[in-house]
Amino acid sequence: MPKVDVDGDEMDVDLTKREIKEIKVLLEREPSITEWAMFDVMHSEHCSYKSSRPKLKLFEDAEANYDYVLAGPGEDAGVIDIGDGYCLAFRIESHNHPSAIEPYHGAATGIGGIIRDILCMGVRPIALMDPLRFGTLKDNPHSQWLFKYVVKGIADYGNCTGIPTIGGEVEFDKSFESNCLVNVACIGLGTIEDFKHAPSKAYNPGDYVILMGGSTGRDGIHGVTFASRTLTEMSEADRPAVQIGDPFTKKMIIEATLEAVKTGYVRGLKDLGGGGLSCALSELTGDGGTGASIDMSKIFTREPGMNSFEIMLSESQERMAFIVKPEGLEKVLEVFRKFETPHAVIGRTDDSKVLKIYDGDIAVVNLPATALTDAPTIPREEKRPDYLNVLLAQKTPNPTMELEEIIYKLIASENICSKEWVYRQYDHEVGVRSVVKCGDADSGVLRIIGTDKYIAASVGVNSKHCFLDPYEGAKGGLVETCGNVIANGAKPMAMVNCCNFGNPEQAESFWFFSQAVKGMADFCQELRIPIVGGNVSFYNEDEVTNTLIKPAPVIMIVGIIESQENIITLPFKKAGNDILLIGETKSELGGSEYHSVIYDLEGGIPPKVNDNKIKAIWDLVAELYKEKLVKANHDVNKGGFIITIAEMCFKNKLGADLDLIECFDDSLRDDEILFSESVGRFIIETDPKDYNKILEITKKHNVDVKKIGVLISNPQIMIKSIKGKDLKLDISKMKKLYDATIPNLMET
Amino acid sequence: MSIKLAVIQFPGSNCDLDTIHVLNNVIGVEANLIWHNHFKEAEFDGCVLPGGFSFGDYLRSGIIAAHSPALDEARIMLKDGRPIIGICNGFQILTEAQFLPGALLRNDSLKFICKWVNIKVENNETAFTSKMKIGDVLAIPIAHGEGRYYTDNLKELEENNQIVFRYTTESGDITEEANPNGSMENIAGVCNLEQNCLGLMPHPERASEAIISPKGTTHGKLFFESMIEFIKRRIS
Repeated sequence: MPKVDVDGDEMDVDLTKREIKEIKVLLEREPSITEWAMFDVMHSEHCSYKSSRPKLKLFEDAEANYDYVLAGPGEDAGVIDIGDGYCLAFRIESHNHPSAIEPYHGAATGIGGIIRDILCMGVRPIALMDPLRFGTLKDNPHSQWLFKYVVKGIADYGNCTGIPTIGGEVEFDKSFESNCLVNVACIGLGTIEDFKHAPSKAYNPGDYVILMGGSTGRDGIHGVTFASRTLTEMSEADRPAVQIGDPFTKKMIIEATLEAVKTGYVRGLKDLGGGGLSCALSELTGDGGTGASIDMSKIFTREPGMNSFEIMLSESQERMAFIVKPEGLEKVLEVFRKFETPHAVIGRTDDSKVLKIYDGDIAVVNLPATALTDAPTIPREEKRPDYLNVLLAQKTPNPTMELEEIIYKLIASENICSKEWVYRQYDHEVGVRSVVKCGDADSGVLRIIGTDKYIAASVGVNSKHCFLDPYEGAKGGLVETCGNVIANGAKPMAMVNCCNFGNPEQAESFWFFSQAVKGMADFCQELRIPIVGGNVSFYNEDEVTNTLIKPAPVIMIVGIIESQENIITLPFKKAGNDILLIGETKSELGGSEYHSVIYDLEGGIPPKVNDNKIKAIWDLVAELYKEKLVKANHDVNKGGFIITIAEMCFKNKLGADLDLIECFDDSLRDDEILFSESVGRFIIETDPKDYNKILEITKKHNVDVKKIGVLISNPQIMIKSIKGKDLKLDISKMKKLYDATIPNLMET
Repeated sequence: MSIKLAVIQFPGSNCDLDTIHVLNNVIGVEANLIWHNHFKEAEFDGCVLPGGFSFGDYLRSGIIAAHSPALDEARIMLKDGRPIIGICNGFQILTEAQFLPGALLRNDSLKFICKWVNIKVENNETAFTSKMKIGDVLAIPIAHGEGRYYTDNLKELEENNQIVFRYTTESGDITEEANPNGSMENIAGVCNLEQNCLGLMPHPERASEAIISPKGTTHGKLFFESMIEFIKRRIS
């Protein structure tokens, strides 16, 4: 690590030689120790996106190109106008490294951070969602430990703050064994007026700067620098860099902040996350075109004797910075007093465009406000790994066991089985908005009280697909998450993403990132989905075992359902109804659960996305919904459509009589038909009397739709297969296997 | 005379707004959100202690809130015979403040549990159950980590008819499987001797609107409607 000279002592900084030189040129002097530390943090990968920014330029400007986007990338959260004077704010980010070292507090403070990001848009956080990735659980106490405490950390924090956790995703793969991925997402709802009261910049000179919330302690110092390195044996020693969460204080901060915003006297709002005060103050003034004078002695600390370096770098949780109009200072302070939230007026903004931090009479920091936020970018090499060709060439072996046995194994596999063990621990009802219950739908559905509008949200991506082809895999993730909200009756409105990748300094790692970004950008442009925010987490690899994670560009989609009558859920409703498969099934078993569970195979040809065909399918589904022709809908996902159908049978204990001979020719094998993970497909339930009408609509959209069977009251799935013998599966046995896997692994 | 209820907001309450929403918009009664140390009993006909994590559940669930001045005010209300209901964390506060007998311990699974359960009405003479019939099975959700009811005086409670609800199957059977948290004798809610104070772990405010109930039921409304009826009878 490069060193800089501070008053004769050497100090390690995570800056390049060029950055060090440029900083000295800019300041025309040697920075102080605190200033060096601030540059160190603000120019870290975590804060500056120095490797990723050039690629993220591929995302089109959502604010300019979509009239309902109120805030796009670069803000703390994406914000969209959903009509009736309301707006939604949402964001997803990672808390991977802290959770890999200390799962309980790592996950909890991840939730804390994402709540603050939404809160500082001036709106009430109303839902959480958590896409999680761990090593496989079986015979792996370390993965079980991480899984157990990450879930508990999320539950304890989210439940206490009164924000329901309405959904999520869990993937298990050995590549995540040391470096688990803990992504956290939050949705906020408020009026557009509230949002306008809380810009994350200090644009008016003369306003007061108030720090409110938890005290500033020595925890979390250099948390972001830690997040911008790979995990090594030394990482255990980094445990003090993990912050400690306090959900009770957070709850008070939420209420105090929202009430303060309602006074109309708040002119700017920013949460303190990675980079602490350094980051918040420099972004507020830098983005607002102002400067500020801050009196460090006013900052309330958890312990005496903290120096300016520690105070400016502390990443203590539960803190917010307010920019307040002078005439409203007393009103705002009154709110904080009511909620008994600690607070202090720490300074005022001015027109100097310089950020000055005083320790007594000495300015320990005296920097142009934009110096910290204008971090340089670093162009990175990218190279497609040669080993991918070998993987892609892998062939599906001939099944050596009965197809029934394979299906029973798949339904019980860790990636497919029920995640009820997880969501039972989350309060998913608080807020009285949860219209569809966990397990009943592909996405979380919330009502907007006082309107007949509903929010549907989904998170996810298939990292196995992304590993084989990050471009198609990232697109596939979009198809899947959009498909989730579409299945529920929503129109996808906007996307945010959380890119989890390896070390960007390595060309092969960076290639995965670059390809995934391109995939997301292309698809969103083609399908007209604004990308309103993102977060990048690099360095997700374990140096000890030399394991790189499977790439995970996790996607969050938020959609809107107009009117309660358009909400469709997943369970099959009535025997005698038709089962339709929408979308084409291809020989796409690369990265499938079938390959990994049955053959321990990672390769093969992964699903490809045809943008036009996906668009046609979405248009078709929208029209079928408009005509009220769909009784149940579930998108086809891991394990193929046979798993989809089984999941739809569970709740109402129905069965299905499927005839594959009628629907597929013999160009595909039985296992390819059943287990293919071709993306963009849905299984829908329809009334037989509507069949002809549906066919007519289908023709118009030129989509491949097959009636593959009918629902029966006997809880069995009967399959007439093409080549092999007919299959018979017992739904109650499947359900037992589906339910038992995680409790058996975690509770014994 | 119009009825006015208070929903007491402790630091860390998180079902306060939900309860206000149901009372104001679903039941149609005037209910005010009152910050705990602003609460003055004389202004209200009854009060609700909502769910949440008052004071972060630090030390022990409900124990700090039990020492809030709000509980001194509520004690006057209680003696005066006005109705008080504690839901979830509110129940924990009421046991800690000794308005109600017993204690709520950590769930036997050692985990927070959020799910819809069924409870059976055992006493319909309280201020909150007059609109129910004995033996009625209500669909209602729970969401708690510390809801395992325990008492040293089970016999006394039974004799005094203070056990108001028990967890049951959908058909009303009191079984071990129907007991979500290991509560003694499947107890889900108890009342005081005078029957004007009820505490329960399940959330009536989350079961008052068909749109958020899995089976379209609105059993939660019965609690609040009974409460209003009780107040009307008292006033007249």
